[in-house]
Amino acid sequence: MIPARALSALDPAEARAFTDHLAGCEECRRELQEWESTAAAMAVSANPMEPSPKVRERILDEIRNESKSEVIPFRSATRNIWTSFGSLGAIAAVILLTALIAGLVVLWRQNNARQLELARAQEFMELATTPGAKTMRLDGVDLGAGATAKLAYDKNGHAMLMADKLPKVPQGKAYQLWFIVGKNPPMPGKTFVPDDTGKGMLEDQVPATAMDSAVFAITMEPVSGVDAPTGPIYLRSSTIN
Amino acid sequence: MKAIAARDEAALAQLYDRYRLILFGLLMRILGNREEAEDVLQEVFLQVWRKADDFDETRGRPFTWLVTLGRSRGIDRLRSLASRERVAEAGAREASEEVSDAASDAFLSEQRGLVNNALAQLPDEQKGPLMLAYFDGLTQSEIATRLGAPLGTVKTRMRTGLIRLREMLASHGESFGF
Repeated sequence: MIPARALSALDPAEARAFTDHLAGCEECRRELQEWESTAAAMAVSANPMEPSPKVRERILDEIRNESKSEVIPFRSATRNIWTSFGSLGAIAAVILLTALIAGLVVLWRQNNARQLELARAQEFMELATTPGAKTMRLDGVDLGAGATAKLAYDKNGHAMLMADKLPKVPQGKAYQLWFIVGKNPPMPGKTFVPDDTGKGMLEDQVPATAMDSAVFAITMEPVSGVDAPTGPIYLRSSTIN
Repeated sequence: MKAIAARDEAALAQLYDRYRLILFGLLMRILGNREEAEDVLQEVFLQVWRKADDFDETRGRPFTWLVTLGRSRGIDRLRSLASRERVAEAGAREASEEVSDAASDAFLSEQRGLVNNALAQLPDEQKGPLMLAYFDGLTQSEIATRLGAPLGTVKTRMRTGLIRLREMLASHGESFGF
């Protein structure tokens, strides 16, 4: 019954009974996950297809709107207190309260940023320590002097780059990763924009021809990326293992 | 996934970039209609954003979670559409127009090769019910009716087929997996 459930092919009555059973059976839940993993492999047999770039834009717009809307209750709550108090003392208290909340929000954001940084570092370490993974260090050159970056990629070419102390990029610009094999034209990677402290992170796919021996470089380019580098190199790799 | 749970938009964008070809290919296969497939793809990633906290890395890979979620949403949409045949017909036209950027992703091509080889080695009597369940969202009873086979026979063939698929993929060891 579990393989059929992994394919969601149980008839409704069986499905309900099995769902009830799962709630109290850790062993069946574990086994179901294994079968779901096998079933999921079937997805790969479908022809991979490229969705419209607008889908990506819509998703990112939506989550940004959601992030903004999460702030709205704060605003409306403040407005209600504001109108209900009405005295100068109350106004002063509200100002103090608002300042306190703002301070807490700043601390919360700082804490979130640290957690995010930790999460990224952990993901990087997990990738770098997978069997067969390679790790590179990128050092700042010329305009990027002082900047550093680490790049790791696994045997499947899934790569993560973590950069630090990069100069700020002007509006409309971003850093772009390049894979350079011998004297061949550099192969373009993705772009990223560092935060205010110069930290930046990127996930990309190393081309098959660059898996064994390549120089990894970072240049500043238009934010949408380019097919051939136009800007100076800010970071360049040297193999460390 | 941890970064997404920590509200990192860039992490979600990277997850999308990594899995969009597979998921959109899957949704096109299920729905056969670009507009519907793109709409569901968007729903899936918004759900990932909202429910990333629910992902338990000790219980499986992000790939399995994403694909299971994507397929489930795709099948739900398929069932909710008024006319499956109408959508399938429209999709057949669109699907034939563009057959993927798979060639640009060597790893994905390799994984497809492994899975397709494994599926090709299954007898049709096992592969057929698996495909009808996975891509058409049919239940075992519906498959039995569709194939004109006894329900018990369909159940046995599906189970045997999935067991064999698992064995064949496992035989590739570390070669298979996202």
